[in-house]
Amino acid sequence: MSMSAEHDDALDDEVLRQVVSELRRPVRLDPSLDRRALDQIRAEATLRMAPRPDRRWRAWLAGAAVAAGVGLAVVLPDQQRPAGAPASPVTVEQGEASSDARSVRLRLAAPASSRVAVVGDFNDWDPAATPLRPVGDGGTWIVELRLKPGRYHYTFLIDGRRWARDPSEPPAAESDFGAPVSVLTVS
Amino acid sequence: MSDSDAALVARTLGGDLTAYAALMTRYRDKFGRYAFHMLGNREDAQEALQDSFVRAFRSLASCRQPERFGAWLFRIVVNRCRTVRRRLQRSRRFDADLPDDVAAGGERPDAFEWRDEIGQALEQLRPHYREAFLLRYVEGLEYAEMAEMTGAKEPALRMRVKRASDQLRELLRDVHVR
Repeated sequence: MSMSAEHDDALDDEVLRQVVSELRRPVRLDPSLDRRALDQIRAEATLRMAPRPDRRWRAWLAGAAVAAGVGLAVVLPDQQRPAGAPASPVTVEQGEASSDARSVRLRLAAPASSRVAVVGDFNDWDPAATPLRPVGDGGTWIVELRLKPGRYHYTFLIDGRRWARDPSEPPAAESDFGAPVSVLTVS
Repeated sequence: MSDSDAALVARTLGGDLTAYAALMTRYRDKFGRYAFHMLGNREDAQEALQDSFVRAFRSLASCRQPERFGAWLFRIVVNRCRTVRRRLQRSRRFDADLPDDVAAGGERPDAFEWRDEIGQALEQLRPHYREAFLLRYVEGLEYAEMAEMTGAKEPALRMRVKRASDQLRELLRDVHVR
């Protein structure tokens, strides 16, 4: 990349010259940014080596969720949370619509975790397919998906061994089956 | 003497993550500055840059000219900023975050206000005008390099740069002479 643009005619203008001079000043970034990127890269590499759950397990997990009656979206935006319910670590933002898919962001609060992935109907329950990335320093992990309208069973896998779903779900569904599954409806 | 980009890419592909860390360190400030000016706030700029680093690592084997790793990575950063920018426009989430570097000696006494005005003026540009202006004048790319990076034709890029320049000049002239 050359720097010959510094001598471009347009920069003969004093105002623009000062604007460009200002914009070339360094911008301070979070010094942990590189480390977070490396952590994410390592986490993805580890997940790629993790064994995939077999088809029988996946069928059981999905069946348990359906039997528990979690047909409605159990991932509630904060403003829809019942009074007194614990703060949900999971939020979904359904964003841009396109001809056949919508942008969905999943967010999970998982402090002190080294890697988080989401597995579900949309990625064939593959723990290596959809890792979340950490943002900030508060233990928040996010991932963006492109999903066609429909219902998806899914859950989070933390550090390759611990499952997590929305704690605002009625405890019966969880205690009955022990399957931490959520259902997301994309409309 | 520091390792070349090509050498660091080769070491990374061989499994040496410290080599990739060195590449990130080499480019983080330059590309972070671009992301900051494109997105208008530090948090989104850092997220875009972190995403870019991870995405670049995932597809590093497809970097056909490792000696031009910087240009290859920059293209990923530019594309990532476009994506984040579109998301921000949908959510209307902008704030006038400013560089917080230490004031240099001899700086204008109203420097903070001047930076604020520049940020606001950039914000008023269409995203592709802003992108072209930053690539051309702040990052110092040639038009051919910009065309390769953005996929736009050179005449279109020249027009975007000119219009961005005209708009910035118009928006900031009164502030500048104050």
